[in-house]
Amino acid sequence: MSGTSAEIRSAEPRSTNPVRAAYLHIPFCKHRCGYCDFTLVARRDDLIPAYLDALELEISRALPEPLEVTTLFVGGGTPTHLSASELSRFFDIVARWFVFTEGAEVSVEANPWGLTNDKIGVLADAGINRVSLGAQSFDAALLQQLERDHTAADIESAVERLRPRIPNLSLDLIFGIPGQSLELWNDTLDRAFALRPTHLSTYGLTFEKGTAFWSRREHGALAQTPDELERAMYATAMDRLPAAGYEQYELSNFARRGFACRHNQVYWAGQPYHGFGPGAARYLNGRRDVNHRSVTAWLRRIQSGQSPVGTTEELSPEDRAREAAVIGLRRVPGLNRTRFAQQTGFALDVLFGAALQKHRQRGWLEDDGEQIRLTREGRFVADSVVVDLL
Amino acid sequence: MDPRFIRNFSIIAHIDHGKSTLADQLLLQTGTITEREFRDQILDDLDVERERGITVKARAVSLRYRYKGQEYELNLVDTPGHVDFHYEVSRSLAACEGALLLVDAFQGVQAQTVANAYAAINGNLTIIPCLNKVDLPVTRIDEVLEEMQTVLGFTDEETLRTSGKSGIGVDDVLQALVERVPCPSGNPTDPLRALVFDSKYDNFRGVMTYIRVMEGTIRPGMKIRFMKGGTNHEVLEVGQFRPNNVKCDELGPGQVGYFVAGIKQLTAVHVGDTVTEAGRIAAEPLPGYKSPQQMVFCGMYPIDATDFEKLREELQKMSLNDASFSFVPETSDALGFGFRCGFLGMLHMEIIQQRLEKEAAIDLIQTAPNVTYELLMMDGAVNRVDNPQDVPVSGNIKEFREPVVKVNFIIPADGIGPIMQLCNDRRGIYKSTEYLGPTRAQIVYELPLAEVIYDMHDKLKSVTRGYGTMDYEIIGFRPADLVKMDILVKGNKVDALATIVHRAQAEKRGRSLCKRLKEEISKHQFEIPIQAALSSRVIARETISALRKNVTAKCYGGDITRKRKLWAKQKEGKKRLKQFGEVEIPQKAFLSVLDTGDD
Ligand SMILES: Nc1nc2c(ncn2[C@@H]2O[C@H](COP(=O)(O)OP(=O)(O)OP(=O)(O)O)[C@@H](O)[C@H]2O)c(=O)[nH]1
Ligand code: SF4
Ligand SMILES: [Mg+2]
Repeated sequence: MSGTSAEIRSAEPRSTNPVRAAYLHIPFCKHRCGYCDFTLVARRDDLIPAYLDALELEISRALPEPLEVTTLFVGGGTPTHLSASELSRFFDIVARWFVFTEGAEVSVEANPWGLTNDKIGVLADAGINRVSLGAQSFDAALLQQLERDHTAADIESAVERLRPRIPNLSLDLIFGIPGQSLELWNDTLDRAFALRPTHLSTYGLTFEKGTAFWSRREHGALAQTPDELERAMYATAMDRLPAAGYEQYELSNFARRGFACRHNQVYWAGQPYHGFGPGAARYLNGRRDVNHRSVTAWLRRIQSGQSPVGTTEELSPEDRAREAAVIGLRRVPGLNRTRFAQQTGFALDVLFGAALQKHRQRGWLEDDGEQIRLTREGRFVADSVVVDLL
Repeated sequence: MDPRFIRNFSIIAHIDHGKSTLADQLLLQTGTITEREFRDQILDDLDVERERGITVKARAVSLRYRYKGQEYELNLVDTPGHVDFHYEVSRSLAACEGALLLVDAFQGVQAQTVANAYAAINGNLTIIPCLNKVDLPVTRIDEVLEEMQTVLGFTDEETLRTSGKSGIGVDDVLQALVERVPCPSGNPTDPLRALVFDSKYDNFRGVMTYIRVMEGTIRPGMKIRFMKGGTNHEVLEVGQFRPNNVKCDELGPGQVGYFVAGIKQLTAVHVGDTVTEAGRIAAEPLPGYKSPQQMVFCGMYPIDATDFEKLREELQKMSLNDASFSFVPETSDALGFGFRCGFLGMLHMEIIQQRLEKEAAIDLIQTAPNVTYELLMMDGAVNRVDNPQDVPVSGNIKEFREPVVKVNFIIPADGIGPIMQLCNDRRGIYKSTEYLGPTRAQIVYELPLAEVIYDMHDKLKSVTRGYGTMDYEIIGFRPADLVKMDILVKGNKVDALATIVHRAQAEKRGRSLCKRLKEEISKHQFEIPIQAALSSRVIARETISALRKNVTAKCYGGDITRKRKLWAKQKEGKKRLKQFGEVEIPQKAFLSVLDTGDD
């Protein structure tokens, strides 16, 4: 399909936007948790010095001069798996290459275990003003099931020690863990609320191909949570979080007013961003590059002066519009007809008329003539809706 | 061209015994193609042939060969080996005086070797037996020669040793063709009689008619008449296959080629028809061909209802190029307007479907194939039923009859037990066993066709570790205790999912079919019961629970591409859906009817 019929005007809106966001990936963990398919290596701390050198090389090759950013996100792996001195080397690099604008959001992912006061000091001194803590659960058995190395007490201690230096805290929580009851999920929510973070992300556990969990499920050693229970857990989150003051702004994300993660909204709004480190993605001039996911391959390529990019994709204007719709719908406010047309050059109704009507009839979408969004019911089955938009 | 210097021959063999590869060598060594033009199995030029590495269409080529100072025209027809395309072979044989019968020097005599050899013998063709692939590192030459002697009566002395790979014996083949195959007879000045053995639609030139001239001469400007079709046309061009179409002045007795006459009407040309001169009509048409007996039927429906007329035209074009399939319009409550198409076997069906989608770019929903049945009604009438949904209520049926085939297995001796077990499980009647040599045997069974076509071949291969082969021919209809099994999806009968099963197997088939459908139909907003029923008695049931949750948790910068691809893949799976009431049923569900429930 050429899509010319749906095209209102030729759209090259993003290429001229200045790039004001960057993602840095730190691919190290103490061990690999059974459900995790992120880009990382475990028990290869020997690679950290080389990684740091390569990271700076990669950045220096990509940026003509230090970049002014309004959001910067350091993810992993476990960034705080680096020792305090390695961490400060990392942030030296950041300081050399990134200038934070007034009010910039600078986030780091951290794990509760091993988050020493030294490391917290390094983060705070480096200007980090938001920490996303991988809490996942407050139940000892479930944490063990997830193969996490921390305890509920570690989470609480980490929050208490972080708060004085970096008060803007988010917790990640997982539901649908094999063996988790609705009651245990409610407990976890209670204990999370008690810590008064500014932001909460709740993720239904996904069995990713290639993970230990995946193969255990294939062999029947691990039972996936029944749909009905997982749905009830998600429903509980969508009921209880807003009641506790966390407004839902995306399928998995909730925040106190003013604390929605701005960096993620860059992704979802289709704005450009840089990305550095193994497996990192960048979106520049309408092209999405993803670095090699293998840490050693990424290292070798940087060291030998080759491009670290593993895959590249440049979407046609129509496909870009489709992607924008799919991602946009996952946000609670949904899609705005006028803004969508301005941004993508395509009219929502021309591109998706039949699908929108179908899902409206099913009660999965609501539409006030200007704004189209998932209903509460639609959020449970969002994938079934977005599939029809591609 | 003086018929004395023409030889017409087909290359026949069991599947994969090297026909097309030997044809390559014959083309190369006679200079019909140059080294530069050469590619493996050059005559297999359909996409489906190259993809699958098998021949599905017979292909004719004219070679020039100089022998003892005289130039000969050798018209070669490369034929397919698979049993489903046997009609292509028999048509080719009718246009020839000779046949090269290839037998793989390792595999030896196989089921289609026997079937094709007999077809040539019955057509009174001169057979040149060739022990082929003698270059293979491991051969069983002595045993295979013995098999050829025992089963087909060929002697060691008359059998050539050949290899299409290395070129061994190709010269012997060429000489034997000239010396052993009789030249065609026929007088160039008699009234024209030419056999239509194939045809093809060309978007610019209309129908290209492929002929073998028996008597008389055809040339441009001539007014011809199709004796059966009854239409007249003016010949614009005649030519030969070398291997591409090359114009020539005329085609005389014994020659093989094509003519173009600006025929746009797709129904004017019939394979097996006789071409004669309009002003000088031959006294008798040629015997032509026995029309093929389609025994496997399925429905083909355009996904997009507006493609119906386009599909009809494409089916017509396809049937010009493949005389062995049939189609008639039909309607289904579930699928709308489409066609009931008849085939010679399952591979044939797959190939036609693939060619339609490729060559015609129409997305199709195909229903599960079934064999054709015969019903003796209470009032004495005998009806053919090609579609399970046409079976009337059982009270009106006196006898339900199914097609039965004689199956010829050639297998290693240690496979005899398992094959007999397999045939007995499938209602087979044992006929005979004959040893081809110390380690291989030929076993004959009579089996219901329905028990043979779907997966017998796979089962045979698995119990003989790949060494067994089979061939079958229809021998008639026999009464059996058959019933129609309906499938209800959310309480509604889906006509396109109905099947005919043996009563003793109904429950097992019903259960496995419901299970398969449960896997194929994705969850909806509501619960979907799936039931199998005989008349109105439900014999199996499954329930697809309602869709309660389907949401990807994470979608950040690095995930976006991956997640979008995942969703796009889900979407692809949903492409071939038919809305049936509130339920969307994917293409694959219609084929799950095939599952025999064995494993
Ligand atoms: N070693 C060897 N291999 C051969 C020879 N002839 C054919 N083959 C191989 O056998 C396989 C089948 O060859 P084809 O020529 O396609 O066989 P075919 O008889 O035309 O097959 P169908 O038309 O599908 O019945 C191919 O992989 C060939 O490369 C030969 O003389 N020697
Ligand atoms: S700590 Fe996080 S990133 Fe590291 S392995 Fe576990 S889940 Fe994956
Ligand atoms: Mg072939």
